[in-house]
Amino acid sequence: MTLPLYPIWMVDLIGSAASIVLAYLSLQLARRLRDRDLNNVVWTYLVWVCAVLLVFAVSRSVGHFGKRFLILSGRSDLWEAIKPFSGSMNTIAFMLVASITLFFERSWRIYQKILSDRQVIQDGHRRLVELNRNLESLVAKRTQELSVSESKFRRVFELSPDMILLTDVDGRILDMNPAGLSMLGYTDRRQELQNVGLRDLFVREDDWEGVLANLEKEVALAGMEVELKRVNGTIFSGLLSAAVERATDGSIATIHFLLKDISLRKSMERQLLQADKLASIGQLASGIAHEINNPLSMILGYTQLLLRSEEPDTQRWADLRIVEKHAKNCKAIVGDLLSFSRSTRTNRESARIHDVLEEVFSVVRNHFEADGVKIEARFDPDMPLLTLDVGKMKQVAMNLLMNAKQAIGKQGTIKVDTRYAPDLRMATVRVTDDGCGIDPDILSRIFDPFFTTKGTGEGTGLGLSVSYGIIKGHGGEILVESEPGVGTTFSVLLPVDTETASKS
Amino acid sequence: MVVNSRYARAFPWVLACLVLMARPVHAVQVHAAPEGLYAHQLSHVFFAFSMALLVYWLRQRQLVKQPGWRLIQYAAILFVLWNLDSMLAHYLDGRSNLYAKIDEASLHGRITLLKGPEALVLLYYLSRMDHLLSVPAMALLFLGLRLLLRDQPISPRQGSDP
Repeated sequence: MTLPLYPIWMVDLIGSAASIVLAYLSLQLARRLRDRDLNNVVWTYLVWVCAVLLVFAVSRSVGHFGKRFLILSGRSDLWEAIKPFSGSMNTIAFMLVASITLFFERSWRIYQKILSDRQVIQDGHRRLVELNRNLESLVAKRTQELSVSESKFRRVFELSPDMILLTDVDGRILDMNPAGLSMLGYTDRRQELQNVGLRDLFVREDDWEGVLANLEKEVALAGMEVELKRVNGTIFSGLLSAAVERATDGSIATIHFLLKDISLRKSMERQLLQADKLASIGQLASGIAHEINNPLSMILGYTQLLLRSEEPDTQRWADLRIVEKHAKNCKAIVGDLLSFSRSTRTNRESARIHDVLEEVFSVVRNHFEADGVKIEARFDPDMPLLTLDVGKMKQVAMNLLMNAKQAIGKQGTIKVDTRYAPDLRMATVRVTDDGCGIDPDILSRIFDPFFTTKGTGEGTGLGLSVSYGIIKGHGGEILVESEPGVGTTFSVLLPVDTETASKS
Repeated sequence: MVVNSRYARAFPWVLACLVLMARPVHAVQVHAAPEGLYAHQLSHVFFAFSMALLVYWLRQRQLVKQPGWRLIQYAAILFVLWNLDSMLAHYLDGRSNLYAKIDEASLHGRITLLKGPEALVLLYYLSRMDHLLSVPAMALLFLGLRLLLRDQPISPRQGSDP
C-alpha cells in the first residue's frame, strides 16, 4: 500500500498557521480577561497557558515550515541540526503547560480561600461600618437626651426656691444653687464658698453628726428640722432632706442636700399661737372686766355721794377722796381690759391717719424734745382715707410713741413712716426707735396684759395689749421686729376700705 | 542588587554559544539519542495528564455549567487526544522497518508498507495529521475564552470567583 505524503504536509502547514493565529488570539482574549480582574489567578493561569501554547505553535510551525523548505531545497543536513531544538522547545512547552496546570489547582484553592477570607473581611467591615454608623447615631441621640436632661435638672437647680447643695463626706460644699446662696446671704458663689463647710453653718454642732449618722444607716434623710447661720450671723430654720451617692467601694462619695426655709412658716405659727393666746386672755379679761365693772361703778358712785355730804379738809373727806381715786384707777384698768378684749363700742369714721399722727406728735413733741428725742415723720402722699376710731387710734399712736421714748431714754430718734400698698389694699404705719431693743426671750409676751418691764407704778402693762386689741378691732395687725441694742420697729397694718379710699 | 548592565546584556549570548557549541563531555553522563525522544514522549504524557486533570477539576467544581468553561473542557479533551495521537506518531516514527518514505525530498513524496498489516500504515498516516486534533482544540480554547470574556463583568481591579 502506497499513500501520498502531500495531504500530511498540507495539514501540517495549514494547521501550523491556524495554530499560531488561534494561539495568538487566545492569548489576547486571556489578557483582556486578566486585565478586567488582575487579582483573579484563573485568568492569570489562562494567560500563561495561551502564551506557552503560542510558543509551542510558533516552534512547531517553524519546525514544519523549516523542515519542508530545507528538505525540498536539498538541505536535509541543516534540518537534522535544527530538529532537536524545535523538538526541545515543544517538550519544554508541554512541560510548562502541564506544570502550570498542576500548580494552578493548588493556587486556585489558595485563591478561593483568599476570596472567602476577603468576603468575610468585607462582610465584617460592612458590619463594622454599619455598627459604627448606628453607634454614632446612638451616641448623638444619647448626647441629645443627656443634654436635655442636664438642661432640665440645671434649670431645677438654678431656679429652685429651696437650697440645693452638694457636699463631700466632710461637709465641704462642692456646689450650691443661687437660692441657697441667697438664703445664706452670699453674693459670689466661687469665692465665698471655697472654705465653707456645711457643718459650720449648723447652729447646733451635733446636727451635722446626726445627719451623717442617719445617712450611714439609711440611703436618704427626710424632714430634719435644723437651724442654720447666715453670713451676717442671723439664724433661720430649715427643713433638711439629704441623699447619698456612694462610690464603688460603698463609701459615701457625695451628699445631696435640699433645704427648705421654714422661717416664715415658723413665724406664722408663732403669730398664730400668740393670737390664739391673746384671744383667750382677751376673753378672760373681758369676763372679769364686765363682772368687776358694775361693783366698781357702785363703789365709785356711793363714794362720790358720800363726798358731797362731807365737809372738805376733814379726815373722812380725805379718805373718801383716796377711795374715789383708786376706784377711778380700777375703772380705767377695767376700761383698758375691755378695749383689749374689743368689748368697748367703737366710733368709726373716715379719717386721715396722717392727721391722727400729727395730732399725737403735737402733744408729745415738746416733752420728747426736752429729753433729746426727735420725731422724724415720713408720710406716703398716696395714703387714702381710712375707716378709723380716731380716739382709739390716737391711743395706739400714743402708746407706741411712749414705748419708743421709754426704750430710747435720752437722745435718740423715733422714725414714723407710713406706706400704702394699693395691690394689697393695706396701709402700714411703722414706728422705729433706736433704743435698747427687746430681748428675744420676752418678745412673744409683750402683748400679754399686765406684762411689763417697767418698775412698779411706772406702768400697768396694758399699753401694748390695748393697742393690740384696738388694731385687731380695726381688722388690722400689729407686728414687732426688734434687735437688742439696735432698736425696735412696730408695724401697724390697717386694711383700706375701697369705698372709703375712693372718697379721697 | 545592582548588576552591571554590560555583563547583564552579554549573559544571554554567552549562554546561547555554550548551548549551540555543546559536544559530548566524558566527565559527565553521556546522553544518547533516544533520551530526547523519551523526554518528549514523557512530556506528552505529562501534558495529557495535566489536561485530563484540568477536565476533572473543571467538572468537579461544576465550572462546566458555564458555556466558556465547557468549551475549554472540550479543548482539554482534544488536547489529551492530540497528545495520545502524537505519542503514537512518535512511536511509529521510530519503527522505520515497517514502512518507507519515497521521494520525500520532492513534492511527490509517498509512503509505502514494507511489512505488517496495511492498517498500520493507515494508522501512521492518519496519526501524522495531528493538526486535525490540535487546531480544533485551539479553536475551542479561543471560543471558550471569548465566552468567558463576554460573561465576565467589566470591573477592573476587582477579584471575582471564576
